Parts: sequence; C-alpha cells; structure tokens
Amino acid sequence: MALKGLDIFKLSPKKNCKECGSPTCMAFSMKVAQGAADINACPYFSEDAKAQLSEATAPPMKTVKVGAGDAEYTLGGETVLERHEKTFVSKTRYASTLCNCMDEAAIDARLAEIPKVDYERIGERMIVEMIYVNYSAEGQYDYVELVKKAAALGRTLVLGVTDVEVAKAALAVCKDGKPVLNGATAENFKEMNAVATEAGVVLGVTGKDINELYDTVKALEDLGNKNLVIDTTGATVKETFANTVMVRKAAIKDNDRTFGYPSIVNLAKVAKGDAHLQAALASIFTIKYGSIVVFENLTYSEALPLYGLRQNIFTDPQKPMRVEPGIYPINGADENSICLTTVDFALTYFLVSGELERSGVPVNLIISDAGGLSVLTAWAAGKLSSGTIEKFWKEHDIEGKIKNRQLIIPGKVAVLKGEIEAKLPGWEIIIAPAEAVQLVKFLKDMQ
Amino acid sequence: MPFTAKSGKFNASIKAVTLGSGDKATTIGGENVLPFYTFDAPIEHAPKVGIEVTDFGMEHEPDCVKKYYEGCTTAADMVKKAVTFEGVDFVSFRMEGGDPNGANKSTEELIATLKEVAEAAGDMPLVVSGSKNAERDAELLSKAAEAVQGKNAIILAAREENYKTVGAAAGLAYSQIVGAESSVDINLAKQLNVLLSQLGVNPSNIAMNVGSASAGYGYEYVASTMQRIKAAALSQNDAQLQMPIITPVASETWGTKEATATEVDVPEWGDVESRGIDMEVETAAADLACGSNAVILKHPVSVATVSKLIKELV
Amino acid sequence: MAKFVTIGERLSTTAPAVNKAFTERDPEPILKRAKQQLDAGAVYLDVNIGPAESDGEDLMKWAVQLLQSEFDNVPLALDTSNKKAIEAGISVYNRSKGKPIVNSADAAGRIENIDLAAANDAIVIALCNGEGIAKDNDERMGFCQLLLERGLEHGMEAEDLWFDPLFLVVKGMQDKQMQILECIKMFSDMGLNSTGGLSNNSNGMPKHIRPIMDSALVAMCMMQGLTSAIVNPNDLRLMETIKSCDVFKNNTLYADSYLEI
Repeated sequence: MALKGLDIFKLSPKKNCKECGSPTCMAFSMKVAQGAADINACPYFSEDAKAQLSEATAPPMKTVKVGAGDAEYTLGGETVLERHEKTFVSKTRYASTLCNCMDEAAIDARLAEIPKVDYERIGERMIVEMIYVNYSAEGQYDYVELVKKAAALGRTLVLGVTDVEVAKAALAVCKDGKPVLNGATAENFKEMNAVATEAGVVLGVTGKDINELYDTVKALEDLGNKNLVIDTTGATVKETFANTVMVRKAAIKDNDRTFGYPSIVNLAKVAKGDAHLQAALASIFTIKYGSIVVFENLTYSEALPLYGLRQNIFTDPQKPMRVEPGIYPINGADENSICLTTVDFALTYFLVSGELERSGVPVNLIISDAGGLSVLTAWAAGKLSSGTIEKFWKEHDIEGKIKNRQLIIPGKVAVLKGEIEAKLPGWEIIIAPAEAVQLVKFLKDMQ
Repeated sequence: MPFTAKSGKFNASIKAVTLGSGDKATTIGGENVLPFYTFDAPIEHAPKVGIEVTDFGMEHEPDCVKKYYEGCTTAADMVKKAVTFEGVDFVSFRMEGGDPNGANKSTEELIATLKEVAEAAGDMPLVVSGSKNAERDAELLSKAAEAVQGKNAIILAAREENYKTVGAAAGLAYSQIVGAESSVDINLAKQLNVLLSQLGVNPSNIAMNVGSASAGYGYEYVASTMQRIKAAALSQNDAQLQMPIITPVASETWGTKEATATEVDVPEWGDVESRGIDMEVETAAADLACGSNAVILKHPVSVATVSKLIKELV
Repeated sequence: MAKFVTIGERLSTTAPAVNKAFTERDPEPILKRAKQQLDAGAVYLDVNIGPAESDGEDLMKWAVQLLQSEFDNVPLALDTSNKKAIEAGISVYNRSKGKPIVNSADAAGRIENIDLAAANDAIVIALCNGEGIAKDNDERMGFCQLLLERGLEHGMEAEDLWFDPLFLVVKGMQDKQMQILECIKMFSDMGLNSTGGLSNNSNGMPKHIRPIMDSALVAMCMMQGLTSAIVNPNDLRLMETIKSCDVFKNNTLYADSYLEI
C-alpha cells in the first residue's frame, strides 16, 4: 500500500534542518511518498522509523503457495476487501475431510467420493482441490496410512494435526506434495515450526480465539516463519465469520501485517452435520475471505452452484468472462437441428443457453469469438459483424459440421440480416427477439 | 502488542422498514454495519426469509416442492400451509400468470387469487410480485396495492417504466411499501429512489430489488451492485441508497439446469432435490453476504436452512 | 472518498442585514438565510459574528442554539476572532451531525486557536500564513508543518486540521493562482484536508462573471484534491459544478437527478 506523506512526516525528525535539500521535513516526507527522494537522504530518521515505514509499504497480505505440480495453488496476496475495488487474485479452494476416527469402510467410501466431482465450466476444471486429513487422538485408523491413501488421489493435503510426532511421521510420507501442516497452537508452535520448516511446508496456525491466534502468528514470525496460513475456525458459525472477517480486514484495511495471511475455514466443524447449512456457509466464505474452505464431504450438489459462484466472484472486473467459441448442441441437437448464434460473453451465453434449454427445442448454439463482449458492445466494436461470422463459419467448418441451413441471429443486431445472407449463401437468416427471456416462446412458436 | 480490531461501525445506517401490520409484522434494515458484522455493532433486525407461492399454485412447482404441499389445490391452500413452515418470516405471492407473453390471465382473476392468498396468510406479512412485464404490472400491481389495503405489504416492484403508476398506487394511495426494481444498475437504483421520493413516497416506505442472479450466472454483477450500494449508503451516507434490499431468489434458481436436470440425464450429479436446495441456499447466502436484507425462497428446506444460517450469524 | 464539504458563507456580519439581526437578536433574517443555504446544498454553515468583543459569548450561544434547534443540529463553523465566543458556542453545540469547526487559526497570532480546537475536539481551519501572506509554497508548507505539528502535539487527528492555502484575487495576483493550486495538491499528497474562501479569486469582478470564475476554480481545485470550501451555496452554477465534480471523483454515486439532491 502506498504511504501518504503524512505517515512519513509523523515519523520524521521535524527539525527542518534542510540537510536533505528540502526546505522542510514535510516537503521531504512528501517527496519520499512520491518516490522522488530516498529516505536515507535524511541523516536523522531513526532505524526504527525506517523499519516501520518499510513494513508499511510491504504488500498487506502474503502470497503463499501450497501443493505441488498440477495441484499447486496460490493463496492470499489480496489487496482489496471487495471485488469491485480492483480484483481478487487467489481463488477460494475447497476441501473434503478424511479423519482417522472414521472406519475403513467410511474412509474408502470418502476416497471414492472425492474424485467424482470433476467437470469443466467456462474453460476451468472443477475438482475438490484439497483433502483435509484430520487427526484425532482417539482415532483407531493409522494416521500415516490414511495420509498415504489421501495423497494417492493427487490432491493437495491439509494435515489437521496438533501432535508433533504424528505430524512428523505424516510429513515423512507426503511432504513432497507440499501439504499444509495445520497444527501450530499456542502450546506447540515452537516444535511445529521446526517440523514445518524442516519439511518445507506451509504451517497452519490455530488458536482458541482471535487474540491467541494473533499472538501465535506473531511468535512464529519472530521465529522467522512467514510461510503461514491462519485457521480462523471458531467454536460457532458466528465466531468463525467474525474471526475470518476481522483477520482479513485488519490486514487489508488497517495495515496490520500480522494477520496478512490466507485463511482456513473448517465448515465441517461448525455446520455440525447440516449439509445444506454447510453449503450456504461455503457461499458466504467464498465472498468473505475464506482461502481454504473445508467441507465434511463436497459433492456435486454443493459444488455446482459454488464453483460457479467462485468463478463469478474471482473474475477480474476489468475483464469480461468468456466462454470458448464453438458449437454447443442443446437439448440433444444434431447436424439437422436449427442454429442460433450469439457472442462469447459468459453472461450472454448463460442467459441464452438457459432459455434454450428451457424451450426443450434442439438447437445448435454457435458461439463466435466476439472478444468477450455483449451483443451490442461487440457489434459497436466491430467484433460481431457479417464479416466476423463469415470468418468464424470458415475457420470452424460450420457448413461441414451442420446440415441445417437456418440461423437465428440476436434481435439486437437485426440490421446484420442482409449482410449475413450475402456472406453465407444458402442460409436462411432469422431474427430472434431482443431479449433472451422471449426465446422460449419464440422457439416454440417457430415449431 | 495484543490484537486490537478497529471498529467498522458507520455513522450512517440503512433505513428500518417494517412490513406487515399484525402480530407478525417484521422489520428489515436499520443496521449501521456491513452484512453480519455484529462484531462491529449489534444488528437489531436480522435479515428475513420469505416463501414464494405463485398464482399457478401447485401447477408449476417441481415435484420436490409439491410433496410439502400435499392435499393443497389452490394458491391459498398452499399459503395456509406455507405459513406453518419453519423459518418463514413473510409470504411472497408472485403473479407469474399475468405475463402477456405467458398465460396472460385477467387482472380480475389474479386479484381474486391475491385476495384469497392475503386472507390465507393471516397475520403473516406479504410481498406481492408482478409478472415481470412492466406495462402489465403498472395495472396489475396498482390493483394489487388496492386489494391488500391495510396489509402494509411490499409491492414488488416499481420500475423505471412504470414507477409513476405503481409508486402512486402503492406508496401514496394505499400506503404499502414500494419495491423499487433496477437490474444490476447502481445509478438507476439510486435514480428510482430519487424519483419515488419526488413523487411523494416516504423514503422509509421503499425497499429495493437491485437485481438477482443464480450463483454462477453472472453473479459478480449482483455482488458488486449490492456491495457498492451498501458502501455508498454507509460510508458515503448516501440517503438515496439507504433503503433495505429485498432479493427474489427462487424465481432465478429453480430455472437453472443445476436445479432441474433430471437424474436420468445427469446421473453423476445425484439427487435433483438436493441440487435444487443447494442452488437456492448458496445463492441466498451470497445475497445476504453482499447486503440483502430479505430473500424470497421456495423450497421449505431452503427456507429453514437460510433462516438457521441467519440465526447462527446474527 | 468523502463528498466535498461546502461551508455556507452567507451568515456574516459583513452583510448589513445579518449584522443588524445579530445585534438585535432577530431570528427571522438569520433563519431565512440559513434555510436558503441549506436548501441549496450547504453542508456546514459559517457563523461569522465579527470581532464581537463585548457580547461575543452571548451572541455565539444564541446563534448556535437558534440554528441547531431550527435545522436538526446543522453543523456549524464558528467564525470570530473572539476565542471566548468560540468556546461559548461550542459549550452549547450539538455534534450529532458533525464536529464544530473553529474558524480559524494561523501560524502567527491566532495559532492558539489550534489548542482551543484540540481541547474541544473540534475541527480547525488552519490558514497557512504567518504575518502577511506566504511568499511561496515553501513558506506555505512551512506554515502548514508548524500548524500540523501543533495540532498533533495537542492530540488532534490530522484529519481535523483543514488547511487553507489562502485564495488570492485574480485581479492583481493572476500570476500566483497556479501556486495555490499546486499547494492544494501538496496538501492532498500529504493526505491532509483542505478548505478556503474560494470566491476571493473573483473579488472585484463584475457580478455575472464571478460564478463562472468560481466554478472554474472549484473544478480545478477539486482535481487537485481540495476537500472543502467556504462558498456562497446560492450560487447555482458553483453548486452544480461541485456536484458534478463529486460524481467524477466518485465521491457520490451518479443518478440522473443528481443535481436535485
């Protein structure tokens, strides 16, 4: 975050000695803030003051990498509290839980369940990215064995373990996958720090309340470890939300770097077996500051809306979301089905494809490359014209792939009808209604 | 140094709007903090959850909703049952059949149904939604405002195209709460409030519907619209945006393929009822996190879940 | 960013009608002018009772209570060289709509008004001049530093010192205008609030010219980061310019009716 001249001035010697070449300390502070002067030009700034200033100019939140290879994820590094202010940079990642307190059958069932969620949405593969492997002292199942089984799925692991020896043993079999060791507490942080540092993995910090979390993070930073995540899960939903928000707000808004780390929010602990409540909470923590959100068991039912929401929230407000250009057969459309074309702006695609699906009429939805702009904007920018459609038809060999020769074009660019007819000989060009919601009736009437 | 959280309490607050007139009258808004930030200041009026019934009664409902209304035939029957479901704070009646491009039912028929519904709702506060067709709603919602006189209902909604008619009927002639609908357009949201105020509607009798979308369907626009409105209302003390927000959820989410695709078509997705509920509660939770003071849902389990969520958070 | 704060200047003893009303404790003309300014969009009202050496305390109390009771605790700037009168005014001031503003302190004889503001948790307008007008921006910023330090020493938040660069009249000091604009930029870069009697620039110009000059200057000043000004809110062109600039600066959200609210 940029420092204001005032912040520097407050720490300045206020002597107005002019030795730096500026008439006053205030003028000098201003130049430093603008980058026009080096703070060392002043012989009287204390080392302590300089250290404070350099800390204040550091990014508000650390960027932490977890996992390895395809399963490597970046967490944190955010600079704003709401997406419209700039953009969120690191997506929330979701985990399902395994525990050594489960019996073998339940463990195997969960292991079989986790890879089931696997699909693509707007060019992004959606999977359960992480597995939270919980250790319970009462658990009967061998924890290291459990970690091995979990690691075999190739997802990033989060080891929920506060027992130092168990942690060491578990890391011995999975540290190459760069798991998170979520196990530092106010009591064990020194030993856990040694274990995590030795294994080269990110250390998760837990605490009985926000103050204990703060103190433990500070103590770990004093030991030189800044490769941390903070488990903000509290005893209740309310406390968890408060912790998660306060930690992020302190870092981004109030410049408290101690809390400038990604978070772990363990919904399995606070949703207490209510799967729908857990789903609702996941939504909230996707918008408000969960870096890793842990489910008991994340299935398609929760994932479908959630991953879509994440795609929306983490999209760059400056860049529209685009879908891949191509032919999308809807309602079992084949080469003989009617065609409808629109732009690759994701919102347009979803609106139009949703209405087409509702109509029940088989349609080939042809999405052309329009720079991710909406229909009218694309048309105004020359990215949706008879020429771009003609080019797209050639490049994608539409005429080779589809035998039908009827094409519905967006109602908002009805003016293109004549030109398209000229460029696509043999095609009947039909004008759609201006709004997507009218498509259902329009298609049904056509039949 | 121990951790000291800086308070995020604002000097401005959202207007508190009470809906309903009987024993079950309920209040939304009034907060001077961001959604659920009870650690900054207490939130006196938690967000509220409504349940939606349409003029089609059972006809258009998915099977997983129908089973909760066993034995019902009319919309009024459904409302009688709906008010007994756990977590319901208000009833929302939507006159979907008024759409001239749809069933195009007569105003007389719809208003008659509305009257039955209002009767069946008893003391439970009422929200009346139109057909989504601005021209039709000008007439329909004006008549609706008259029909439920004394109910202090939210008439959803006045839009740019019909605010004079709907605003005058709902806000002036029949003292209802005027819903002001804009579609993810923050400037229009503000402008509508200004226009309604200039028309003479008391700003404390306005609730905004600033647009809605299902999770995954361009939801970023909804999120940012709501968050920017709350920021302007609270941190810039913009009185023209301090009206509470009410967001219809069910009418969006139950049309998505996540909620409707059958288990035969996509077996890997699993139970269709569960998918419908999750789509509804995840969308509603996002709305609440971004600033909605009330959400309108359909599935009784969704209503109970979101109500529980709110209780856990406030 | 917060909206630009306009301080209405029309309750001043320099206006004969106001002077008479103050002397006679006649509420009617005072309330009328106050209402005109508030209806036009003034945020604060400046209450300039002049030196008021004999009855300043009583007069300021009367004026504060009169205005705040009539206009829902409208926030006020207490404008007099009589320190006791300012303190008396603050003693009856209701701060629910905003802290009182002490108008004003400078880096010479009136520096103690900063201490007064600090002691009373008030905002203070800090004029960046000493004895006479600063000769250049180095000197202005020197005064600025002196005033800021004084405030901080007395426990004020920097945001409660509103620095006034002292607007200069164009007729006679046209070549100094850009200096003032640069000075505002420096305040802004420092993260400081600023204000001033902006219409001084057009002193001595024909009446129909003044709103044009004032509007142009306020737009340039807002670009430079000016956060407030002491103005005539009944200058429609000026107020429309300020509202428009607030939109461009994203201080307020645009709506088609933005000029009407």
